[in-house]
Amino acid sequence: MLIQMGRRAFLQRAVGLAALTGTVPAFLQKTSLAFDGDPSRDVLPIPGLNDNRVLVVVQLAGGNDALNTVVPYQDDAYYRARPNLAIPSAEVLRINDDLGLHPELVELRGLLDDGNLAVVQGVGYPNPDRSHFRSTEIWETASPPETAWTDGWLGRYFDNECSGVNSPMIGLQLGERPAQTFAHPRPRAVTMANPAIFDWPDEGPLGLGFEQINQVEPTGLDELDYVQRTANATLAASRRIREAIQNDPTEASYAPFAFSQSLKLVAQMIAAEVPTRVYYVSLGGFDTHARQDRRHASLLQELSQGLAAFRNDLAARGHLDRTLVMTFSEFGRRVAENQSGGTDHGTAGSMLLMGSEIRPGLLGDRPDLSRLDDEGDPRFTVDFRSVYAAVLSDWFGADAEAILKTRFEPFPILDPARTRV
Amino acid sequence: MKRVRAFRAVEGNCLDATSAAHLLSRVGFGGTPEEIQRLVDVPVDQAVAWLLDAAEAAEPPQPPAWVRSPWVNTERRFADTPREESAENHRNTRRRYASEMNDLRSWWLGQMIASETPLREVMTLFWHGHFTSANDKVGISQAMYEQNATLRRHALGNFRTLLGDITRDAAMMMYLDLEDSDAQQPNENYARELFELFTLGIGHYTERDIQETARALTGWTLDVPPGVAKPDRPTEPGTPRNFSRDGLHPTFVPDRHDDGEKTIFGQSGRFGLEDVLDLVVSREETALHLATRLIDFFGVSDPEGTLRPRLAAAFRESEFEIRPVLLALFTAPECYDESSRGTLIKSPVRLLVGACRQLRLEVEPTPSLAELTAAMGQALFDPPNVKGWPGGRAWIGSGTLAVRYQLADALLESRIPAGLEPIGFDRFLLVPRDPSQMQERMERMEQAMADRSTERNKDGIKTRFDADSLFPDGPPESPVALVDAMLDRLIVTSVRETTRKGLIRACQTAPAADRPAVVARLILASPEFQMA
Repeated sequence: MLIQMGRRAFLQRAVGLAALTGTVPAFLQKTSLAFDGDPSRDVLPIPGLNDNRVLVVVQLAGGNDALNTVVPYQDDAYYRARPNLAIPSAEVLRINDDLGLHPELVELRGLLDDGNLAVVQGVGYPNPDRSHFRSTEIWETASPPETAWTDGWLGRYFDNECSGVNSPMIGLQLGERPAQTFAHPRPRAVTMANPAIFDWPDEGPLGLGFEQINQVEPTGLDELDYVQRTANATLAASRRIREAIQNDPTEASYAPFAFSQSLKLVAQMIAAEVPTRVYYVSLGGFDTHARQDRRHASLLQELSQGLAAFRNDLAARGHLDRTLVMTFSEFGRRVAENQSGGTDHGTAGSMLLMGSEIRPGLLGDRPDLSRLDDEGDPRFTVDFRSVYAAVLSDWFGADAEAILKTRFEPFPILDPARTRV
Repeated sequence: MKRVRAFRAVEGNCLDATSAAHLLSRVGFGGTPEEIQRLVDVPVDQAVAWLLDAAEAAEPPQPPAWVRSPWVNTERRFADTPREESAENHRNTRRRYASEMNDLRSWWLGQMIASETPLREVMTLFWHGHFTSANDKVGISQAMYEQNATLRRHALGNFRTLLGDITRDAAMMMYLDLEDSDAQQPNENYARELFELFTLGIGHYTERDIQETARALTGWTLDVPPGVAKPDRPTEPGTPRNFSRDGLHPTFVPDRHDDGEKTIFGQSGRFGLEDVLDLVVSREETALHLATRLIDFFGVSDPEGTLRPRLAAAFRESEFEIRPVLLALFTAPECYDESSRGTLIKSPVRLLVGACRQLRLEVEPTPSLAELTAAMGQALFDPPNVKGWPGGRAWIGSGTLAVRYQLADALLESRIPAGLEPIGFDRFLLVPRDPSQMQERMERMEQAMADRSTERNKDGIKTRFDADSLFPDGPPESPVALVDAMLDRLIVTSVRETTRKGLIRACQTAPAADRPAVVARLILASPEFQMA
């Protein structure tokens, strides 16, 4: 595949090793900050779309404890509610006079300082549901709490706005179980745990037979036809994916953990300019009902180091300005700790946004811990669908209202110069 | 010529070959021609009763050799245990658990492949997906085995009894944090999932019901069985559960129980565990919820919406017996309706076990064999979360479909496919930030993961395909006849013209001796074989 030899290729050659160090060299920082204009100047738009921007959705599965992620280290109510689990104020990585990050989020603290990270606080939705599954469904489909939609919000975006894109992998998920975010009667996404699995018989009687058996021939049996279509899309996508990985010359430094390695693959795909608009990766294990402290610390460490390695890798390859990362979790946790050294299901949480085009820093208002709801949970201040609306309209230039089926005022997450009208 | 199976409704209430094949593809892991033949011309209710009788009468399998009675905690820590010793005990214990879990996975797969009463195993698998617990969190092989034995024991028994046993099951108590829930601060985890997933279904209870139920369930913990001596050495306060647990026996500690008044579903009383279970089982929604779960699991369509209430009624009328519900389900006209046939996407376990049974493979179950179902998205004893496996189209992603398409290679060539290993592992420990310590910790973790993988794959896959066992008089000479015989054996749904032509052509171009294997491999990598 032909890669344009523009600014990016130069940067890739010039700083191929930069990604191995913990920080991005200053000149590169400046380059990407100073570079102001249409990013599609050196990377062609995704065929069938007007630009080359991508979104990386990061699911924090299980309900991330937002209060111990962004810590209100001056708030007595927080320390009263969590005699054992509260992060001591001395250990917090302070952001301002009120809030700081969990001590394991060292790298994210660096991203904040670089202006590449934003934290949207108090994100939730009305009438919060405390079931993992229902709440995850609400986040993945963007449905109102009282109705159950089956298609995902990005599944609808693909269907509404990407019909002209000829790609078997407009959405690409690293994982085993297809996320509902991409679900749609006409699915456009590929889900895989390890691309090395795409290994097909390609010669002799087996190769011929295999090819023929997996041509699509609709039968009117819905499930059988679904399997056929998936098989067909898989065969088409797998070649692109393998090529992207095989031809990747860079050796960025990522930890050997599943989440970090997923991000490494995503960076390879982004750099190879495969025709993918949205990537989806998950980090699971956030359902910390018991013995939370060390488990949560390990998870946050993985999140922090994974995202920072990803940012450095993309910056070194010159693809950071095309990329927006957005995390979500089905809910935050109960303010008060429980007897098992953990926390039970709660409501509002926070979302992280990462990229070079965002409004960095703390966004939105943190919930008031002295005004909890009847269950003892924070009240949300930002509706997550207004963040989705911003991603759809400001980042992708899409009709958010048509996709979310309701008008939500886009929450200003992008640097105004990057927002599209 | 187009080869579409003509599905007939069950005529005269007797099974024909297609209906028998359809029934066996659901209540078992797919029938062989001989098993199907046995049910042809038998009245439906009689055939289903036979299958249920056989499943009920099945002897429980021999437990794996490493199961101990009573279980002993080999990483138990006391106030006077030297640090080195406890670290050593912990390491050795965890290593042993990992190898016992590998054994347990292959042990269960082996039961399913060899079972004379597959319905017993299918129902055990159903309950494993319903009353889920994951070894990921539980981490004790014997607790996972005991839960499996409990699910198998009650698989076709009484739901109220099963619910009581599973609520007090060691793995469940660890998985949903009931073990440590006490009056001071009740843990809501079990109460919530009990209502949302195990009994009522979402939306049929309030947050208050959950909180009050959590109080009612306090006081249960795990300890040595009655009559077994406990260690009489002091334990350091704050010792984590894994190092302070003396046994896996559910034990009620009145001092830890909140015996005040609770109000659940509008009824008030000083409720405890048994009261909660009686309250929840007697609710209309529980029967309906279970009916839905069974209908979905067995892939029966309910276009009129009348099957669900009929099953719920059978459930309530029999005081929560499971057998009458299954009888009603498998004799229902809906079960044999066109819209129920060939519509169920096989779960990975169904797919693999079915392939082994229908191809009459010689199988020695190994951890690598079990790893195949995990790579297809169904790791036994490790469901993705408390909701179990969603099933249906969720089984089919590009990656999992690719593994399915390589199943034939794995089973017919005893070859572990490339790309089965996960791309990375979970960060199960905090990595120190000091560079030299970091290096050391990372090396230890990577080594542990590498050892785990080596250990898992040390036996490889041990399966053998022998065409003579399918065709004792030799396979049909004509490619067309051979292909049709293999399709009859392996496929219950319609076969597309494309598939049949592709098979015949591949068969014609293959050397005669390889033909049965070539056809089998291609059928296993076809969309049709994914369906039951």
